Amino acid sequence: MKDETLKLLRMRAAVMAREPVQVNATGIILDVITFTLATETYAIEAAFVREVYPLNDFTPLPGVPSYILGIINVRGEIMPVVNLKKFFNLPEQGLGNLNKVIILRNDNMEFGILADDVCGTEAISTDAIKPLPPTVSAIGEVYLMGVTRENIIVLNAEKLLSDESMVVNMGGN
Amino acid sequence: MDTADSEFLKRIQATYRIEAEEHLRAFSSGLMELEKTQTKESHAGIIEAMFREIHSLKGASRSVDQKEMESVCHPLENLFSALKRMEITLRPASFDLLHKTVEFLSRLIADSGKKQSPADLQNKRDLIQQLVLTISEAKNTPPGEEQVRQTDIATNVSPADIPLRTSTPPEPARELKLARAEVVKIPISKLDPLLFQAEEFLQTKISLRHQTNNLIDIVSEVNEWKAESVRRRGRHSMSVDAQWNEWEESDASHLNKLESHLSAMLHALEKNHHNLERIANDHLDAVKQLLMLPVAFLVEAFPAMVREISRNQEKEIELMIQGSNLEIDKRILEEIKDPLIHLIRNCIDHGIGTPRERLQHNKPSLGKITMTFSVRESGLVEITVSDDGKGIDKTRVLASAVKSGSISEEVAEKLNTDEILSLIFLSGLSTSPIITNLSGRGLGLSIVREKVERLNGSISVETLEKEGTTFRIILPLTLATFRGILVGTGDQRFILPIMNVERVIRVKAEDFTTLENHETMRIDNDILPVVSLQEALGLPERRAVVTRSSLAEQGGPPLIRIVVLVSGQKRIAIKVDEVFDENQVLVKGLGKLLRRVRNISGATILGSGTVVPVINVADLMTSAIQAGGRKTASDSETIPETKSAKILVAEDSITSRTLLKNILETAGYLVTVAIDGSEAWARIKRGAFDLVLSDVDMPKMNGFELTKKIRNDAGLSKIPVVLITSLESREDFERGIEAGADAYMIKNSFDQGNLLELIRKLI
Repeated sequence: MKDETLKLLRMRAAVMAREPVQVNATGIILDVITFTLATETYAIEAAFVREVYPLNDFTPLPGVPSYILGIINVRGEIMPVVNLKKFFNLPEQGLGNLNKVIILRNDNMEFGILADDVCGTEAISTDAIKPLPPTVSAIGEVYLMGVTRENIIVLNAEKLLSDESMVVNMGGN
Repeated sequence: MDTADSEFLKRIQATYRIEAEEHLRAFSSGLMELEKTQTKESHAGIIEAMFREIHSLKGASRSVDQKEMESVCHPLENLFSALKRMEITLRPASFDLLHKTVEFLSRLIADSGKKQSPADLQNKRDLIQQLVLTISEAKNTPPGEEQVRQTDIATNVSPADIPLRTSTPPEPARELKLARAEVVKIPISKLDPLLFQAEEFLQTKISLRHQTNNLIDIVSEVNEWKAESVRRRGRHSMSVDAQWNEWEESDASHLNKLESHLSAMLHALEKNHHNLERIANDHLDAVKQLLMLPVAFLVEAFPAMVREISRNQEKEIELMIQGSNLEIDKRILEEIKDPLIHLIRNCIDHGIGTPRERLQHNKPSLGKITMTFSVRESGLVEITVSDDGKGIDKTRVLASAVKSGSISEEVAEKLNTDEILSLIFLSGLSTSPIITNLSGRGLGLSIVREKVERLNGSISVETLEKEGTTFRIILPLTLATFRGILVGTGDQRFILPIMNVERVIRVKAEDFTTLENHETMRIDNDILPVVSLQEALGLPERRAVVTRSSLAEQGGPPLIRIVVLVSGQKRIAIKVDEVFDENQVLVKGLGKLLRRVRNISGATILGSGTVVPVINVADLMTSAIQAGGRKTASDSETIPETKSAKILVAEDSITSRTLLKNILETAGYLVTVAIDGSEAWARIKRGAFDLVLSDVDMPKMNGFELTKKIRNDAGLSKIPVVLITSLESREDFERGIEAGADAYMIKNSFDQGNLLELIRKLI
């Protein structure tokens, strides 16, 4: 009985074991949040994620660029929500759930991005992130840190947050 | 003006007294600290701080012309400057002198404005002499002296004893007066969270009112139920079934109990609501009072600024300010400062000419700029900035606007005076032929307009050639008080700021007349352009939405809801589908990402938690005029009226739901949405739909169950059902077909063309 339990535990351990992350002298471990958008899995550095908020309702704004989904109420605070698919001009393929908002923030900027599903958190080494061949991705290189062995596309949160071209600043008429 | 000036002087004096007392208190406690502290390192810090205090005190005294104070502060400052540079050190005797000086200064502050007695004057001269002496003496003393002081303190004297060694004992009453200050200075950073909390209270209050109204609805529903059950019992009173009667009675008693519980609860909630409402309002008012400052604080520096700028341009200009005792929200004062400076500079630069030019036009060589502050109506302040200069040259404005490409020449010809003048608020427009460091870059006035509008205010300009120009700004007195009207257009709702709403009316279609291809209507004696809110905002034209109110009006000719908006001198009639209630709302920013959105100034959260954008009326007016022009072009190709097919979309994800709805509506279908299977079922039973498009994975009732229900209902079984899902397995596909779905679409391979083609085939 005892042996069997042990055997079972070992088996489980074998199944769940992962390759240890290779840490080289140059590699930095990044804590990321992974999420899906249409058919792809993305990751974004957790240090820039304030929270994940369910999207139950939103208010569209007239006249804004199409990548602005609208604004939502996050516990009494107004939060703009960006549809990255539109911002990156990704082909409008498939119909996702798009019912999660990942709220990104740094000192100067704060907004939510739409996600189909949030998978969880992971620690990845910057060494394991390889640049994406430009032909593969339609997303501008500047917004990407690269892709991992598991084909997770790692977004550059800092770049997104400091990108002036995302800021909506419409002059008067 | 005289009384206003002396009023102002009094206020400045009072402010000075508070400030001076503060500096002196800080200086005095520094002195105590200095006596207690032994290490040289900490001395340096204390001396530095004390030096700054005395320096500020001297500066403040000089600015309000307190010569006595200044004359004592001056040697004191020199002494500390020498200490700072470590040229001298303090001896016990110096401490006595310093305490005596502090005491003298505090008396001077308390008596400021009064005449000094000869004894005081003598006292002052003595102090100054001794201070000067201390510096020169200390400089000649060998460094060894320092030791004496340190042992002196370390062995016996407690700091509190030291003042007792002064030759003249201090007057305790004076000391008390300083300590018992009735005014406290609080950093604004501590007030801001207070205001934020007070405003959050407001949000709770709004939610509570919403909940109270919901409960009122529930109570009335229960009452109806009760009445119905009484009626029913009345009809069946003949029933002989004893068991039945018992049930009926038990039902009735439960219902009574429920009703009385609910009524009690409603009563309690209403009471709490009223209490909270009162507290929240009082609290907010009190906090806002904290933030009210007289205009004097804002305009203090303006006259000097005008003198300097006009001197640089070899002009003679005097600034008159009226109403500077009016109190305005500090945050508004801060925001309006730059715009006012812009306007003043504009008057100096463009309005008022050199003395020679003025004399040529039979004007006094001294130019005049007048700035007035007055309360317009409740909660609104009017600020005017006027000059008696040459006025605005309209032909030059027009030429400049055409040149900069702001307007075309055809448009330019049609503009009336007011419209021409409003051009000066466009960016890139300047009538000044040369660019100075003040104005001429053509940005100033557009920034002024922007700032004013961000404060929910408006700006207009009037001018008389050769007589002068007046800028008129209307602003709310405080920032937080904001009332708005909730309106609906299509399926979106917006808040219109009440300060821009002149009236809300209902008119018939025949009240409109078309003038030069623009729809207009007569209000009072003005012809106002009429534009629908939907068009002005550039929202996609939707087919008429059947609303509660338009249903109620069926039978008579359809009435159209018009909101007359006013901004500055401009008025416009805006068509909306629905006008809900007027509300106190809390306006919030749109977030850092949305720095400026045309037509939208912010957003508010309704009691139900829904976010509603707040309209920027000045923007909207311009957008409306442009939209009106566009409309006539597209109006010629009116879409033939066809009976559109009705589709029900059941989908729990808001984004997918909105996307599907938009795709289908653009294709010309009438779309109703449901957020889950059970809501969809309820809607299907009520309305006649031509097709149902449903997600599979939904709460309450999933797509398979919904399909089965439809198929099993005799009246509905023929409705085509399209299931749409992320489930891809063969098994699910079979389940869908089994349930009776006509088609099955996979989300991942979703394509709008395929969907529309499929729907066309099925309907």
